[in-house]
Amino acid sequence: MKMNRDDDHTHDDDAALAMFLAAGRAARPDPSADLMARIVADALAEMPAPRPLSRPAPAAPPRRGVRARIAALTGGWGNLGGLVAATLVGVWIGFAAPGPLAALSAGVLGEVLGTAQTSAESVDLVNLLPDFDDFLTEG
Amino acid sequence: MPYDATDTPEEVLLARYARGDALAARILSERLVPRALGFAARMLRDQAEAEDVTQEAMLRLWRMAPDWRSGEAQVGTWLYRVVANLCTDRLRRRKTVPIDTVPDPQDGAPGPVAGLIAGERAAALDAALADLPERQRQAVVLRHLEGLSNPEIAAVMDVGVEAVESLTARGKRALTARLAGRRADLGYEDEPG
Repeated sequence: MKMNRDDDHTHDDDAALAMFLAAGRAARPDPSADLMARIVADALAEMPAPRPLSRPAPAAPPRRGVRARIAALTGGWGNLGGLVAATLVGVWIGFAAPGPLAALSAGVLGEVLGTAQTSAESVDLVNLLPDFDDFLTEG
Repeated sequence: MPYDATDTPEEVLLARYARGDALAARILSERLVPRALGFAARMLRDQAEAEDVTQEAMLRLWRMAPDWRSGEAQVGTWLYRVVANLCTDRLRRRKTVPIDTVPDPQDGAPGPVAGLIAGERAAALDAALADLPERQRQAVVLRHLEGLSNPEIAAVMDVGVEAVESLTARGKRALTARLAGRRADLGYEDEPG
């Protein structure tokens, strides 16, 4: 039978040890003020920058004005700018009617209508796309 | 004060410190430093070295505060573990110092006087603790002087609970044997058990 190694351990032994241990607990050294100051200084030196306890609720999206909504409809301010520029160019062409453009218009319209002009203002038009009829011709 | 300093868990205080709350650092220091220092002093028997170890352990706590993983460990247990490791390092470096240089209890100097101050009893205990193997000393100090539970000590020492029970039992037996000769000197024979 295995002997219990505590068999020789008496109640008096336990009681005496308990009193030594109680004295030991009572005699725990208090940290000096200097040690506490050093440790707190370390803490403050290592402390991350303050930040709020919880993440703030996301701000409500700002209400969009009429102009912003129009811009959004056209795909943004960039697209709207292009649209405005094209409109202005069209208006300018309509009012100014530049000469070369008039000749080009006459050439195109004349060819289409069979009234090609021969004046100096006319332009030579080259049809870069052959008529489909050419492909239908046998041989 | 924005929160109750006595009831706030240490883990919460550490999280507050990590968010830049200086008051949390002070409260944590007041709670943890006496425990760390008491443990280190028992292990090293050198107040200056114990203070250095305590400061180093607390510094490691401050530095790891932002990365503290909630629920993985108790702050106090973690700190005891760091202190234990730092003490072990220092004790190993001390190995060249002969054990004879460790002060012995002064046999019979005070005599069997009933009015012995408690400090002498504590000094006798410290001397007896110093004779224990390091692991036994750790276990006994954490269990019977720092008041940790066996599972907490197991976490500190990185061993199983059964190993802790064995270490504390052997440590207590050894302490009892070493203190047997001091009981009469320190007036314990006359006190009620």
